[in-house]
Amino acid sequence: MNAVAKRLRPTAATSPWPRRLLIGAMLGYIAVLILAPVGALLVGAFAEGLAPVAAALSQPDVLAAFGRTLFIAVLTVGFHAVFGTLLAWVLVRHRFPGRALLNGLVDLPFAVSAVVVGYMLLLLFGRNGLLSPLLTLLNLKVAFALPGMILATLFVTMPFMVRELLPVLEAFGTEPEQAAATLGANGWQTFWRVTFPALRGGFTYGVALTFARALGEFGAVLVIGGGVQGRTETATLYIYRALDERHYTGAYSAALVLGLFSLLLVAGTEYLRHRGKAKAGR
Amino acid sequence: MIKRLFRWVSVLGAMSLLAACAAPATTPAATTGATSQPPAKLILGAYTTPREAYGQLLPLFAEQWKAQTGQVVTFEESYLGSGAQSRAIVEGFEADIAALSLEADIQRIVKAGLITGDWHALPHNGMVSTSVVVFGVRAGNPKNIRDWADLAQPGLEVLTPNPASSGGAMWNILALYGAALRGQVADVPANDEAAATAFLQAVLKNVTVMDKGARESITNYEKGVGDVIITYENEIMVGRQNGQDYEAVYPSSTILIENPVAIVDAHVDKHGTRAVAEAFVQFLFTQEAQTIFAQYGLRSPDSAVAAATAAQYPPLADLFTITDQFGGWEAATPKYFGEQGIYTQAIIAIQQ
Repeated sequence: MNAVAKRLRPTAATSPWPRRLLIGAMLGYIAVLILAPVGALLVGAFAEGLAPVAAALSQPDVLAAFGRTLFIAVLTVGFHAVFGTLLAWVLVRHRFPGRALLNGLVDLPFAVSAVVVGYMLLLLFGRNGLLSPLLTLLNLKVAFALPGMILATLFVTMPFMVRELLPVLEAFGTEPEQAAATLGANGWQTFWRVTFPALRGGFTYGVALTFARALGEFGAVLVIGGGVQGRTETATLYIYRALDERHYTGAYSAALVLGLFSLLLVAGTEYLRHRGKAKAGR
Repeated sequence: MIKRLFRWVSVLGAMSLLAACAAPATTPAATTGATSQPPAKLILGAYTTPREAYGQLLPLFAEQWKAQTGQVVTFEESYLGSGAQSRAIVEGFEADIAALSLEADIQRIVKAGLITGDWHALPHNGMVSTSVVVFGVRAGNPKNIRDWADLAQPGLEVLTPNPASSGGAMWNILALYGAALRGQVADVPANDEAAATAFLQAVLKNVTVMDKGARESITNYEKGVGDVIITYENEIMVGRQNGQDYEAVYPSSTILIENPVAIVDAHVDKHGTRAVAEAFVQFLFTQEAQTIFAQYGLRSPDSAVAAATAAQYPPLADLFTITDQFGGWEAATPKYFGEQGIYTQAIIAIQQ
């Protein structure tokens, strides 16, 4: 690490300009792509001061929409935290026929448009869907109700956890676990004391990405949920409706709150990763 | 730490189970007696543009219903492009009332077996409001748009929604095509389908954005996209009521838009809401409700209300209907929007 730094530094010292230009260009790049839209959002939301923003965000239907979004996101994260980890484990540790296919299928949600995901679920759970007789029998409502929206969000967020954990698990290998076993740890102890701590970084990042994606999902939940105000409306669907209603303060404020959530999420993840590293370093 | 994580996961599991169980419980048991005590809930599945009018109509009806029967009625509202809304209802969105842009979207629900009653038996054949297809132009009409032929000039940017999801978009296409067939478009001979199709293609080439619904289309226009928007007259009026400065240009020839409303029989019977749903739909045809529709830019099919509000609605030189020009939606939908339809083929042709 130090050797590399030493080799690079003299080159930079001969002329600081390429470095400065590069840094300047990257700052400009971030400013244009990220700061400008966020700034526009801030200006739009607070165009008429703080009071309209507070009024817009405290509407019962807006609060309910955020509650719904959080509920779906937390559920999704919990589900993938368990099954995503299991799936990554199975893919890394076991060789079986169809493994390559399974590995490819995990990425399918990346490739399929969210709107199409919504329609696929309608083909299953809609009134004329394949599972419709079963749902009628059980008196369950999936399409145009919360369960359908949860399924849609589970689908679109499936790859994140697995993709974060796969490379970490592969790099980790099996030697530390074998060592733990020879020292007398049982399978469960090995997982929690040896394997899981090594996965922590990937796991935290997977949780953050899954959560962020679940918060922001729009197309799939619109199609499967129908965007019914006060019942199947999530935060993003509320933003979409507020734009249609020309209620721009509401739309921008809600978008800002969603953005803030994501920011906290990223910051929280970084904090956890550093803490994890510090612990590992001790 | 481990135990805490476990508890967390099991709580999540329990929550998801609860969510799944709570869902069927929200559909009220069929209590058809319409006794005055339990509150009723009506689900309205509508297209995107009359939302401001319904914003005023729903509370007004709830107030009147409460006064008449003592029963509290609440509404659940969904506004999507007319085609998208109609498909959602067919796929299982349990709307009690469908208020859509065009008859073909109601017919889709009829064919699915969910509307079984004679919805045409309502006043005005079930058409609760009407409008016309017009152009929206920037303040002062800087591109000097006067009539259909002006929309084909090269380089002009035109907005119209996507007919696959939007009813307004279908009205727009048929207004253009009908005007062309009637010899009302300069340099397009009357009753010449090849010439009318060529004109349609020329305008479609200028379309820069195709939104999911009419409302999304006009709010995009408000953000500065495009020179001209083809849209409902009521969308221009509601936009201007909200402080927008674009102007309506009335083409010499255009189509009369007729917006149907219907009770979804299968759903009102399942929910036990037939009585209140029927009262609500009847209320929409009262002079009071019709006057509110007219305030939000919708031309009233009721002759008395139409006469009273005539001042805000310019007369049109050549106004045709879906029935007299195209033989109704039953014929027009496959002919223009089917897989081999004139519009479908035109949009494919210009993309090549």
